[in-house]
Amino acid sequence: MGNTALENQIKRQSNRRMLELLEISKRFDGVFAIKDVSFSISLGSITGLIGPNGAGKTTLFNVITGFLNPENGTVNFQNRPLTGLSPFKIALSGIGRTFQNLRIIKGLSVEENILLALSEGRVIRSIIKAFERRDSKVEEEKVKELLEVVGLSDKRYDLAGDLSYGQQKLLTIACCLALEPRLLLLDEPVAGIAPEMIEKILGIIKELPSKGKSVIMIEHNLDAIMQVCDRVIFMDAGKKICEGTPEEVRNDPRVIEAYID
Amino acid sequence: MVQLLSYHIPNGVVIKCLTAKILMFNQFFLNSIISGSVYSLIAIGFTLIYSTTRFFHFALAAIFTLCPYLTYLFFKTLDSPFYIAVPIALIFSGLLGISIELVVYKPMRQQDATSLVLLLSSFGVYIILQNVISMGFGDDMKTLQPWPVNEGFFVFGARITQIQISSIVISFCFVVVTWCLMKLTQLGKEMRAIASDPNLAIVTGINVDQTILFSFIFGSILAGNSGLLTSLDIGMTPTMGMNALMIGVVAAIIGGIGNIYGAVLGSFLIAFAQNFGVWKIPSQWQDAIAFIILLFFLLFRPYGFFGKKITKVEI
Amino acid sequence: MDYFFHILIVIGIYSIVAMSLNLLAGYTGLISVAHAAFYGIGAYTTALLSLKAGLPFWVNIFAGILASGIIAFLMAWPSLRTFDDFFVITTFAFQIIIFSIMNNWVSFTGGPLGLPGIPRPIILGITISSHLMFLFFVASFVMPIYLMLNQIADSSFGRVLKAIREDEIFAISMGKDVIKYKITVFVIGATIASVGGSLYAYYISFIDPTSFTIIESIFMLSIVIIGGAGKLSGSIAGAALLIFIPEFLRFIDMPNSIAANMRQIFYGLLLVIFMMFRPQGLFGEYSFGESNKKAKQ
Repeated sequence: MGNTALENQIKRQSNRRMLELLEISKRFDGVFAIKDVSFSISLGSITGLIGPNGAGKTTLFNVITGFLNPENGTVNFQNRPLTGLSPFKIALSGIGRTFQNLRIIKGLSVEENILLALSEGRVIRSIIKAFERRDSKVEEEKVKELLEVVGLSDKRYDLAGDLSYGQQKLLTIACCLALEPRLLLLDEPVAGIAPEMIEKILGIIKELPSKGKSVIMIEHNLDAIMQVCDRVIFMDAGKKICEGTPEEVRNDPRVIEAYID
Repeated sequence: MVQLLSYHIPNGVVIKCLTAKILMFNQFFLNSIISGSVYSLIAIGFTLIYSTTRFFHFALAAIFTLCPYLTYLFFKTLDSPFYIAVPIALIFSGLLGISIELVVYKPMRQQDATSLVLLLSSFGVYIILQNVISMGFGDDMKTLQPWPVNEGFFVFGARITQIQISSIVISFCFVVVTWCLMKLTQLGKEMRAIASDPNLAIVTGINVDQTILFSFIFGSILAGNSGLLTSLDIGMTPTMGMNALMIGVVAAIIGGIGNIYGAVLGSFLIAFAQNFGVWKIPSQWQDAIAFIILLFFLLFRPYGFFGKKITKVEI
Repeated sequence: MDYFFHILIVIGIYSIVAMSLNLLAGYTGLISVAHAAFYGIGAYTTALLSLKAGLPFWVNIFAGILASGIIAFLMAWPSLRTFDDFFVITTFAFQIIIFSIMNNWVSFTGGPLGLPGIPRPIILGITISSHLMFLFFVASFVMPIYLMLNQIADSSFGRVLKAIREDEIFAISMGKDVIKYKITVFVIGATIASVGGSLYAYYISFIDPTSFTIIESIFMLSIVIIGGAGKLSGSIAGAALLIFIPEFLRFIDMPNSIAANMRQIFYGLLLVIFMMFRPQGLFGEYSFGESNKKAKQ
């Protein structure tokens, strides 16, 4: 990560808690998918969330973003509680996310997918807008910018379904950014794609703190985690086992043990 | 159920009223058992087919209707003995069930059709079959009377005819047979496996297509039987299948779709609600009663009594 | 010639209904078999008002819109709370219940005997009596409704609908209040269907519950799907197909007793064939046929 003035300012304020989880537990059919998980994310950080399959990482994301309600515990975002809010509200309040099984609207074009996030959310308003002859210049500009950030400018009018898997992943990140989130939750952003594309995506992720954004990233690709994250949290069987810098976590005996098994 | 009309009535009258109420209760109770047992057959048939194929096989209503008409054909028109007409009709029902699966559903499933498209095609098949019956036999109500009608028996003051008793007994037997099938045979286990996880079932080497075929045979026989019993009691019309199927569907959903016990339980619940409902609510509203119950379940407990909360969406 | 106009009028009325259902089922993916109920609510409201109150036709039609809108909202609000496939069955239940009310609440709706003698609408003192006049009357509804729905479908609202159809979780994660969108589109669909019903009542001048059954709902759904889900013009084409062609059978010599059955068989056959071989319908851009299971994981 380079040194810009903005970055330094952010580092000075790095004690500001962006996201705080307190004793989150979630049960399915009597089994605890996550139990008493607590941690906090600071402004401008990139945090890796790692652990074996079934550790509860995606479940945690689902709880944070409101798709699941925890049995107990609270989630605070910028010092305001999130638990109990509906997921669309949480998205609008500044938390964007991507999904492990790549969700995108294949039947719409690249541009339309991004416009989905950008355009008027309130229902009645959007119907009224249907009949107005307003130029959406502002929106068009934003689409252009976002496509430049992820490098998909030449695919603007293509159907999302016609893109390669890696390009679709870039698109999901663009859509996520279209919400102007303060926090991005990326679920396996570089899984299943070619090395050049991995570099591209990691490059985009690395730039995010300089734009004032924080990231939590679930990944199995430990190289990617090492490259990009300044903190790592390790989970196994629904519990947070340890957290720290990438080096610290990598050398933690419990982590080594879990990955050897 | 027991109402005291007022304080100052001589004991004799109170007892008469009480008795009347008890008799009425008994009749409703008995009627509920009769309808419930016949409903259960089509509910089970439906739910069996749903559990293996995951879509609403609407056309089952046509099989419900066709079986009694075929029996009528063999018995009345072709003068075969009743005890031969019935099995032939049932076999035909099973065969028709398989044909629909092989000709219509299977090829569509192989093309990855969604359950909506299958539902609509099922409906198309129903329309075709129902109209063929209409054309062939006419729209008027036909009756099937293999034995002379008699007054029936009185059980605790409630009337029940021989045919109704047979209905209950036969339905009960079929439910037991179904239970044995599902719990004790290999085939039953395979059906349950497919019901709970189709992909896993394929991987473990179960011949899914064959098992589905079997669920169609069995489901069709159950439905046909249900139609036959109904027609013996109250006659047959070409459109009777739709109504019966709808109740079967409601019962299946209330009981937790895919669950046999649930289908039976749901059937009885509806039968009781309809029959006792007549007490307070005019009888034309009977259909609505079933659906209001359904609505209640859908809004508060969509997986029914025994169904598992199927989260179709994995986030 | 009059007969030809009659066919066109019927196609026009069904187009209105089919387009509204298309918005709901074709664009948004919300399959509903309760549409005949709303069609019926429009018909009954208009019929009752024009028989009892003698108000101008547009008031009656508007009353139908209001009635169906309110009922649709009351129905949708509890049913759309979760993302489940059970919505279809809920609409099934509502359809039967509303039909029951039409059929059984004799004092209000006339029960199975229905409501006869509905007067034709009067515009500027002229009664719309001939078939040709009524055709223009219907067309004057079809065009604006088509344009309006098209405008909605091509807007950002329509975009959200299409997103909901394919992956509503994605739509939610993009900050869209999906439940509210669904309720809104359901109400829009219901109110426009009721306009169709009002026109039907005025045209046939006698309505009874048998025109508003679950079978009718499924017929409407078939028009949408055969015409092509997600394409409004497809609904007009679908209506034309499913209404026009069976009429040709009239010209084939057939004993009267089986004519009605044969028409139904034809319809059933058409349904099965389309579902088996062309589930996206005539002009559909969205196929309910292909398993969008990949999207709905």
